[in-house]
Amino acid sequence: MEVVKKYTETELVQLLRQRSEAIFSYLYDNYSGALLSIILNIVTEEELANDVLQEVFVKIWKQIDSYDSTKGRLFTWMLNIARNASIDMIRSKSFQNSRQNRELTEDVYSAGGTSETRTDQIGVRKMVHNLKEEYKVLVELSYFQGYTQDEISKMLNIPLGTVKTRLRTALIQLREMMKP
Amino acid sequence: MDTKTYIESGVIESYVLGMADAQEAAELEQLRRQHPEIDQAVLAFENALEKTAMAGAVAPRPGVKQQLLAELDFEKAGSSRVVSLSPWRYVAAASILLLVASAALNIYYYNQFKNTASAYQALLLEKNSLFAENQNIQTKALDLFNNMQVMSDPAMIKVSMKGVPGKENTLATVFWDSKSKDVYLLPNQLPKAAPDKQYQLWAIVDGKPVDAGLIADCNGLCKMKNIPAAAMFAITLEKKGGSPVPTLDQMYVAGKVG
Repeated sequence: MEVVKKYTETELVQLLRQRSEAIFSYLYDNYSGALLSIILNIVTEEELANDVLQEVFVKIWKQIDSYDSTKGRLFTWMLNIARNASIDMIRSKSFQNSRQNRELTEDVYSAGGTSETRTDQIGVRKMVHNLKEEYKVLVELSYFQGYTQDEISKMLNIPLGTVKTRLRTALIQLREMMKP
Repeated sequence: MDTKTYIESGVIESYVLGMADAQEAAELEQLRRQHPEIDQAVLAFENALEKTAMAGAVAPRPGVKQQLLAELDFEKAGSSRVVSLSPWRYVAAASILLLVASAALNIYYYNQFKNTASAYQALLLEKNSLFAENQNIQTKALDLFNNMQVMSDPAMIKVSMKGVPGKENTLATVFWDSKSKDVYLLPNQLPKAAPDKQYQLWAIVDGKPVDAGLIADCNGLCKMKNIPAAAMFAITLEKKGGSPVPTLDQMYVAGKVG
């Protein structure tokens, strides 16, 4: 679905700050799908991902005054809100508990056909999927699960310097894959 | 600064994806201001990332948007907690809001009313005093008009009384009606009398002073006593209430008739 863009990011930000409901509606129509894709990359469970999406738009609405265009584009800002909210969600106690339960049921009924397999095939994670295994795990842990490089170094028992270099190489490869 | 190496280092991607640490981020924010090619590289990756995310767009659950619109309208400045309310709770919340708003309006309008009422009182007072002053001025104008009528009557004899030696700055005028013999006085220039003193007008008849009346505070012309005949008029300053005979050394003005 191609949505014709009507506003520049500057106009969007300005109108959002004026609390225009029409603009919020426009923002949602244009960006909710892309933001949901990144949330699904992290949260993977559709119902929960939609809850996170709702939370993300509330945050965008309430924090729009703190958006600083010199630090990045509006979309980048929104994407990072979505990523952070998703990571917060998967780290929450309730999510950890429900995941344990789900893993048990999935063991019983076998893993096929759940919504989780599909989330590998969308958005940023689809690109990450094409990376070499040693890179993929680093992007997985740092970008999708929000671990620091120091934590990853300890977790995988790889020197911090190696984690840093590999991660950067992985990101450059990702960038190349994203090029049109 | 080797911008090419920097651009190929992966730090830009790490920054855009929100994975850079504070030091890396601060450095990049400074470098992109100094080097347009770094700024371009940042923007290019941001655009590519947006395209990737857009390409993977997944339609949200229907109803998320409606819930958002309702919620954001409902609590614009409240907490960021996502809560769904039952319709009745919306109604209750809306009623409370309305009640609060209406109470606030009541206070506002009551204050407005009080201000307006006191402003109205002030205006009323001002209007009354203006009206009284206007009446006063009308009376004075009417008096002056009547005075003018008296002075311009062809039967009127005008007697100018100039200051006697030592009182050269004083002046008063008698208007004497040759038909009715009524006497009017215009105190053009007479010094203000002390509280226990009063000016008295005299008509000189056959060489003798005859009392022609006391000069009170009058507006323009003062009506004096009727004097059938006189050769001269004069004014002296007497004790309050007047004297039977004039105190001659207290004479201020005098003038002959004709």
